[in-house]
Amino acid sequence: MRIGTMLKDIIASMFKKNSTQHYPFEKNPTPERFRGNLYYDPSACTGCCLCVKDCPSKAIELVTIDRATKRFVLKYHMDRCVYCGQCAINCKFKCMGMSNKDWEHAALDKKEFTVYYGKDEDVKQFLEKLTASTDAETNE
Amino acid sequence: MNIEQILQAAEKILEPWNKETLRPEANRVDIVMQADDLHAATVALHEAHWGYLSAITGMDLGVDSGQMEALYHFCSGPAIVSLRVRVPRENTSIPSIADILPPAIFFERELSETLGFKVAGLDESDRLFIPDDWPPDVYPLRADFSPEQATPVAEKHVEEIPEQGMLTGNTFVIPIGPQHPALKEPGHFQFTVDGEIVTGAKMRLGYAHRGIEKAAESRSWFQNLYLFERVCGICSHTHAMAYCMGVEKLAQVEAPPRAHAIRELVAGLERIHSHLLWLGVAAHEAGFDTLFMYSWRDRETVMNLLEQVTGNRVNYSANVLGGVKCDIGAEQAEKIKEGVDYLETRIRHYLEVVTTDAMFLNRTRGIGSITAAEAERFGLLGPTARASGLMRDVRIEAPYGAYVRYPVSLVTRTNGDLEARCEVRLEELLVSCFAIRAILDNMPDGPLTVRMPRKIPAGETISRVEAPRGELLYFIKSNGGENPARVHVRTPSLCNWVSVLEKAVGRQLADVPMLIAGMDPCFSCNDRLVSVVRPHGSEILSWTQLRKLGIEYYSR
Ligand code: SF4
Ligand code: SF4
Repeated sequence: MRIGTMLKDIIASMFKKNSTQHYPFEKNPTPERFRGNLYYDPSACTGCCLCVKDCPSKAIELVTIDRATKRFVLKYHMDRCVYCGQCAINCKFKCMGMSNKDWEHAALDKKEFTVYYGKDEDVKQFLEKLTASTDAETNE
Repeated sequence: MNIEQILQAAEKILEPWNKETLRPEANRVDIVMQADDLHAATVALHEAHWGYLSAITGMDLGVDSGQMEALYHFCSGPAIVSLRVRVPRENTSIPSIADILPPAIFFERELSETLGFKVAGLDESDRLFIPDDWPPDVYPLRADFSPEQATPVAEKHVEEIPEQGMLTGNTFVIPIGPQHPALKEPGHFQFTVDGEIVTGAKMRLGYAHRGIEKAAESRSWFQNLYLFERVCGICSHTHAMAYCMGVEKLAQVEAPPRAHAIRELVAGLERIHSHLLWLGVAAHEAGFDTLFMYSWRDRETVMNLLEQVTGNRVNYSANVLGGVKCDIGAEQAEKIKEGVDYLETRIRHYLEVVTTDAMFLNRTRGIGSITAAEAERFGLLGPTARASGLMRDVRIEAPYGAYVRYPVSLVTRTNGDLEARCEVRLEELLVSCFAIRAILDNMPDGPLTVRMPRKIPAGETISRVEAPRGELLYFIKSNGGENPARVHVRTPSLCNWVSVLEKAVGRQLADVPMLIAGMDPCFSCNDRLVSVVRPHGSEILSWTQLRKLGIEYYSR
């Protein structure tokens, strides 16, 4: 038995820089595989909905604008997503993946956590329809 | 003895009460018996020293069948014998076996609160893991339960805490938690003290109860993987692994060898992170904050490795039904080796610290000693049991997955005190480091996943894995559909609580935090129930009472 068994560690640490980082001024680069936000590439999507089916937290919805011309909008609820990556595994056409860049989630409004993915014109069309219907509701 | 012989031995012991023998799996025998015979059968198994009671699974077989079933799983090495008792839904009386096997009290509580089994002699006056305002006679795991039934009712009245906590003369009740600076997780304890000496201990859990087993019934096999991964944030991988292996067994699908190897590798890294976390907490409880800070600094190394390999620090999601998601390339393997080398030197250093530091030893040596016989009686698991000399490690007793190919060695101690538990945990990490290197050096080639069917064939299976805290048991039943019929999870922490409650009695109150930390409790894991009745009765505070107490206290 002795005392001061960790004295050496303490002394050595005096000559090292801090272990703690000054986030957000200083950031660890995220690893290649890090699972941040979901991204979606509509070009290859067939609308099979396999991704939606196994999502454990019902975080994605696929809206079909026109099936014949393969026009889909993916509604993604970031705040429900548990970042498990099951949707990306399920997609046979590799339309989905998890970003390792986009992972800092803080917002003042919950609305910002619902995002729409798809071809620009499809998303635009979808959102216009959405606003129209909510306007109609408020007018009633 | 091989599995067959072990099972035959059990069958022979249980012969007199056996109504029917079932063989659901190669390593399991189910003995159907009458509820009245249960006690005698348990006594026989216990006296013959055949295995230990690992869990009790309750099931409602549906309104149509009119029956409920309780399965008493006894494990001995790789063999599992389940005593199956069927009772009509209208009369669910079963005898208690807690007088023979103390840990059964937890399991019986669970049966009673979630399924409405009437266990003889069980004190039902207080709730243990479902909320106090849960309506009476409503059982969430029954087949005919609907959420509307669960409308909160006025809380039941529970005995008031005595004025100033004073019982008589020098005897006081000290309530700790669920919110307490000395406890970092939500649990509630009541220690009755006579001066400084603890004379009674009682606890209440369930503050983080989430009803996961119920939720599983309405989710698909694939979705449930992520649900069970979240039973515990510290050993999330072992939960997912136990679930995956169970479902794969039911589906008669074998994950590829490479997937098994990666599963073991991640489990090894997870063990390092879990035990280092524990070391920090234990050191902190002992007032040795230097060790706490440094062990947690080093833990970041393994957290970063986990993040690199799997893509996340906590809920790794490395598993997928039928295999794993993440591969390990040459570059990654190098990084893991580097990290593991560093961790190994640090672990050796900490091992030296915990066995030589005079101040730390004062708080650990000879404290909370549990003999092998006591450990057996309390039904302890994992490092807590191994520190008392029990050879209890599923990885060795019943190797699963890649543990056949990359075996680990058993680490035990015999003195059973807190020091022994520190040593066992740290030495186990060295073993994990060796195993990780062995896997990286001989990684089998091949695919990462095999195809899984969406519907799992009807059947029942038991999947056991060794989590950092001990044996984790999953009982999974399928009716052949896309959702499981029943998933029952028995986490190791639940089994280890008895040791704290029993061991606190007779010790100084100041040792209690260390005793609690010594078994490495995981609250979210075992938030399912609990209370142990000790002499010098105390009581459990209801939420309103706690709140009232708090408001009154602060308005003074
Ligand atoms: S990552 Fe998981 S939770 Fe998030 S959208 Fe995909 S499947 Fe759903
Ligand atoms: S699984 Fe892939 S192809 Fe199918 S709907 Fe989802 S993103 Fe589109």
